[in-house]
Amino acid sequence: MTALTKPASANSQESPIERSHQSRFKSPQQAFWGGVRDGAGGPAMVLFAGMVGFGAMGNTNGLSLLFTGATSFFMFALPGQVVLLEMAISGSAAIAIALAVTLTATRFVTMTVTLFPQLHQQDRNRKLYASVHLLAMTAWAISMREFPSMQSQYRKQYFIGLGLLCWLISIPGTILGYFLAGMVPAPITLGLIFINPLFFLLTFTDVRPWINRLAICFGCLLGPVFYLLDRDSSLLTTGLVAGTIAYFIDRKLLRKRPGVIG
Amino acid sequence: MHHALSGWGLWLALVGACIGTYLCRAIGVLLSKRINQDSEIFRWLAAVTYAMVAALTVRMILLPIGLLATVPGWIRIVICVLSVSVMISKPTRRLVPALLTGTLLMVSYGALR
Repeated sequence: MTALTKPASANSQESPIERSHQSRFKSPQQAFWGGVRDGAGGPAMVLFAGMVGFGAMGNTNGLSLLFTGATSFFMFALPGQVVLLEMAISGSAAIAIALAVTLTATRFVTMTVTLFPQLHQQDRNRKLYASVHLLAMTAWAISMREFPSMQSQYRKQYFIGLGLLCWLISIPGTILGYFLAGMVPAPITLGLIFINPLFFLLTFTDVRPWINRLAICFGCLLGPVFYLLDRDSSLLTTGLVAGTIAYFIDRKLLRKRPGVIG
Repeated sequence: MHHALSGWGLWLALVGACIGTYLCRAIGVLLSKRINQDSEIFRWLAAVTYAMVAALTVRMILLPIGLLATVPGWIRIVICVLSVSVMISKPTRRLVPALLTGTLLMVSYGALR
């Protein structure tokens, strides 16, 4: 009973003002399926192709299907998965592998910290510790882009729809890639592997405020430098240095000019 | 030197990697409770995150491992430039055509070499 009456009363409380300026979704279910739809339109396909590439990598390097699939299911972070595979093949110690992968995952700290404060206050509870597993680069990039177009109470459902699709699609993708490896010609495998970095690169053209555009430019320039200095910690150091430079340029120079922030 | 990890060591590495990855996500949830999206620290963290993601992308393109490393660096860069040009050629972004451009170019390079 209460479950039925709740959405109606929640709507009536904020109807005149809140609904008028942004009303992309009218119910949480709609937001959920909106997330699924936005994911299915391209991003999830890209991730699927990336996971096919990963599955193929696992097979060609002599790992079992169970291990390769478990990596996608429990880790669900393609760059970390590639690092795990790379280091396992070259015979690194288990502890070194775990540390290196954790370092590549530090981006999730800031991704979560930048995404979840945009959720409605009511949704910011312990359940987020479960939903955060769905957070990866794809879902983060799309959510950051789409969140401003919807009311905050629908953002969580939107994110879950998008993230769940991405997560669930990664398992069949990995399995398919595992079996396809060796069956498809090398040029096709090459294309599949290349889709992932290309997708990330293309989403950068959609990034809006200038501070983040600057951060991306500095990250691209400094990334290889720090990589050559120390491979395992390079993502973290690049992020901190490049992000801080972008922040100060924005704060000291850009924000004083009208019309630049946006 | 080049003995691939196997058996229990391999699974141990996976368990460690999964725990580490989840911990980073959980720490994010913990910290996000105290951060307001209009604050200075939020702006700084967003910049740091974008820089990290950019570094990761550049690493995957310029310093890849495995099959992609067999493609000369300048070819990878040219294909990226062409794809980005397709993407920004219209104000309404064309993600799928741009992705197809890049992927098909890479497949054709692989087929022709």
